[in-house]
Amino acid sequence: MLLLGLTLVTLRIDNRNADGPSILFPGGVLVSGELHSGAEPDWSFTDEVPTIELQLVDPASSRRILIMESANKVYVPSGYMRSMLGRLWKDWAFQADEGSGLAVARINGFRYERKLVRVTEARVIAGVASKFAQKYGGGATPEAIARVEKSVAEGDTWIFEMAPRGQAQ
Amino acid sequence: MKTKNYLILCAAITLIWVPALLFIPAVSDSVEQLMLLFLSTNAG
Repeated sequence: MLLLGLTLVTLRIDNRNADGPSILFPGGVLVSGELHSGAEPDWSFTDEVPTIELQLVDPASSRRILIMESANKVYVPSGYMRSMLGRLWKDWAFQADEGSGLAVARINGFRYERKLVRVTEARVIAGVASKFAQKYGGGATPEAIARVEKSVAEGDTWIFEMAPRGQAQ
Repeated sequence: MKTKNYLILCAAITLIWVPALLFIPAVSDSVEQLMLLFLSTNAG
């Protein structure tokens, strides 16, 4: 118990003001990296990116997270949302949903100012679920896609679109 | 074990473990990987 307590406290404190998250512990504000401006990129390049760094503006903390592209929009998931550990682990998702959703993503060293918008529309979820299963689930089989769609429908997994800021939703 | 010895042991563990986490990246990375594995398999 002593080792576990020391580990949690030490790593949490050590990372809280860092320029980005560690593997598991949240970091601080994303500082380094060129800030993207101009037209929306072709997000298909994220198919080759396993995880990104995502920082909420309020509160200003960052974490490492999966990313899926679908119809040239990008989405991030938050799982385990109905479990006790999930509520502790994924507090950022509740904060994004209840707050402004303003966020900064750092992908391949570039920073993108975005707004997190939770999506539940079945048509959108179908595309995201297909990409999720293909990218992280070992293949976009009908069973794998259905599992993801069921998880989203039941509220175990939340999906946020990383929309451009200022875009009407 | 007497209380005094137990407290000395706790202090010694703290003095070794905390600097190891702070100053040896491989240690903290390995610990975090293990914690992530635990969460991934138990959070459901």
